Amino acid sequence: MSIMEYNGGSVVAMVGKGCVAIASDLRLGNQALGISSNFQKIFPITDHIYLGLPGLATDVTTLKEQFRYRVNMYTIKEEREIEPEAFAHLVSSTLYERRFGPFFIEPVMAGLTKKPSGEYKPFIAASDLIGCLNFAKDFVVAGTASSKLFGVAEGLWEPGLEPEDLFETISQTLLNAVDRDAYSGWGAVVHVM
Amino acid sequence: MAAAATVYNPVGFDFSNQIRNNFLADRGIPLPKATSTGTTIVGCLFKDGIVLGADTRATEGEIVADKNCEKIHYITESIRCCGAGTAADTEFTTAMISSNMELHALSTGRKPRVVTAMTMLKQYLFRYQGHVGAALVLGGVDATGPHLFTIHPHGSTDKLPYVTMGSGSLAAMAVFEAQWKPSMTREEALDLVNAAISAGIFNDLGSGSNVDACVITATKTDMLRNFVKPNERVTKERTYGFRRGTTAFTKEEIRNLVVHEEIIGVRDDAMDVDGS
Amino acid sequence: MDSSFAITGKGYAIVAADMTVSRSIVKMQYNEDKIKVLGSHLLMAFSGEPGDTVQFAEYVERNIRLAQIRNTYPLPPPSAASWIRRELADSLRSRSPYSVNLLVAGYDLSTHEPKLYWIDYLGTMATVPFAAHGYGSYFALSLLDRYHDPEATVEEGLATLRRCIDEVSKRLVVTPGKFKVKVVDKNGVREVEL
Repeated sequence: MSIMEYNGGSVVAMVGKGCVAIASDLRLGNQALGISSNFQKIFPITDHIYLGLPGLATDVTTLKEQFRYRVNMYTIKEEREIEPEAFAHLVSSTLYERRFGPFFIEPVMAGLTKKPSGEYKPFIAASDLIGCLNFAKDFVVAGTASSKLFGVAEGLWEPGLEPEDLFETISQTLLNAVDRDAYSGWGAVVHVM
Repeated sequence: MAAAATVYNPVGFDFSNQIRNNFLADRGIPLPKATSTGTTIVGCLFKDGIVLGADTRATEGEIVADKNCEKIHYITESIRCCGAGTAADTEFTTAMISSNMELHALSTGRKPRVVTAMTMLKQYLFRYQGHVGAALVLGGVDATGPHLFTIHPHGSTDKLPYVTMGSGSLAAMAVFEAQWKPSMTREEALDLVNAAISAGIFNDLGSGSNVDACVITATKTDMLRNFVKPNERVTKERTYGFRRGTTAFTKEEIRNLVVHEEIIGVRDDAMDVDGS
Repeated sequence: MDSSFAITGKGYAIVAADMTVSRSIVKMQYNEDKIKVLGSHLLMAFSGEPGDTVQFAEYVERNIRLAQIRNTYPLPPPSAASWIRRELADSLRSRSPYSVNLLVAGYDLSTHEPKLYWIDYLGTMATVPFAAHGYGSYFALSLLDRYHDPEATVEEGLATLRRCIDEVSKRLVVTPGKFKVKVVDKNGVREVEL
């Protein structure tokens, strides 16, 4: 029983055609005992960035607070909203700073980057618990059901999904993976941007 | 307290979680191991410079976390570094040395040397006594010619004409030992590096996917990202697209990002704005 | 061996905690109040390491009071719970951490809603309709899954809580004995005899 499985929970993010989606389960447990079926793991960072924080629940709250603080400070100092790429590196360096005493969280990010032409480019990224970023072009997963999510997503995801189709693909991926994970489940939430 | 009061934090590591994490470990809950990358990275000397090579697989235990990651890191225009070991450590260590090399170049007004990068890296890694788990292949060309080094996590270094590192190092070295010869042409060297990385990709489970290569000569650096893609997946014959409406949901919320504001005139003349 | 439960209903929250203090196999006391009244509309049930519990509860009580003196207005339940959580999370990073599990219940005068927070010694916090700590939770949570009604009246809520207490008294090897029950609603905090 690793500390990463103590509270349970999983997050997945996927890229679509001019859109992104991020989804999580809603369980909070104490090992095998379920405590809450409405525990938020995905947080809005800006209007165009969502952050998923699966892992140890106390660190979910601590990091959520810390990122809100750091993003607010960035917004004030730079006088602009943070871009998804910059935010991913903020997450990464925040975690690597604690390389030898980490937070037990594997963050997943999804966002839209505004291009000079005015259209939005989808962006997803994931990080391990010490801040090694993974910029994938298709999907990223994390949490106690990550091994199952990898398998299902690999089979179901396809390029060029419209928002409505992306919703179905990410929902079915999460639901079916989480059904085979004892520590995830108890409801789910999907965000499509 | 843990959270520092600035956005831009001081350098160095933060150990504020250590007491808690040790406390949790003492309660019999094992702490997770940092994700380590099985890797094949190589470098070889040829007539005009250096060829570096790497596979593109990142693993978390038995799971392939990233099928096409980048392991050849930028140090300076004519110095590059391949990383194996703990993924985050290779990423951050090379990024930090890269920025210190740029500052060094700016303050000396000279093109920085490969030995400088090598010394910076070994001194940094030695300071952390192997806890920063970066195993590196450093190569580049400077005023003194082409140089190729390996740097181990504890800070020891080697200077050799052909080197390999990572879990696929044995497979790759077997190829080098059989085929490497002095004063190869660019094409010969590139083929050899490709063969060495391919040996890692196909014979080492920790390595896989594509071959990245980088050719550094005195005049030019060519980063050959996905030089060879021997594991391309064929397009699926059919799709698993779900019919819209497959997934039932209990609640839908649409977050409106456009702020609508109705302006009500306080006095009569304020109504003039809409031209009525 | 402490057991504590809490539920929310239509315009109220109820908190119940057993009243025994035990050391090893001996019951040392049977009339201990393990529910602190933190303000006019805020309750906190605490359990965990003996010594830590009272020490931490009093520390929280005085700081919540201090916040009210400084700012004129009391901290609303979400802010109070958030502050308490952070204290526990920071405490865990110190040389002598508090091992305390909490149920924070309150009535939010700004939104006119009852609020309930489940907090453990790691600093895990969850907003929940009903919650429990201790061995009693294994029985109470399944009962509350079946019987909890967010629209129930105080009387119905107390009856549901009674079920939990009865079940724990019946099934747990070491019976927790008497329970202290406190209710918080728009009129404030009051103690109820079950």
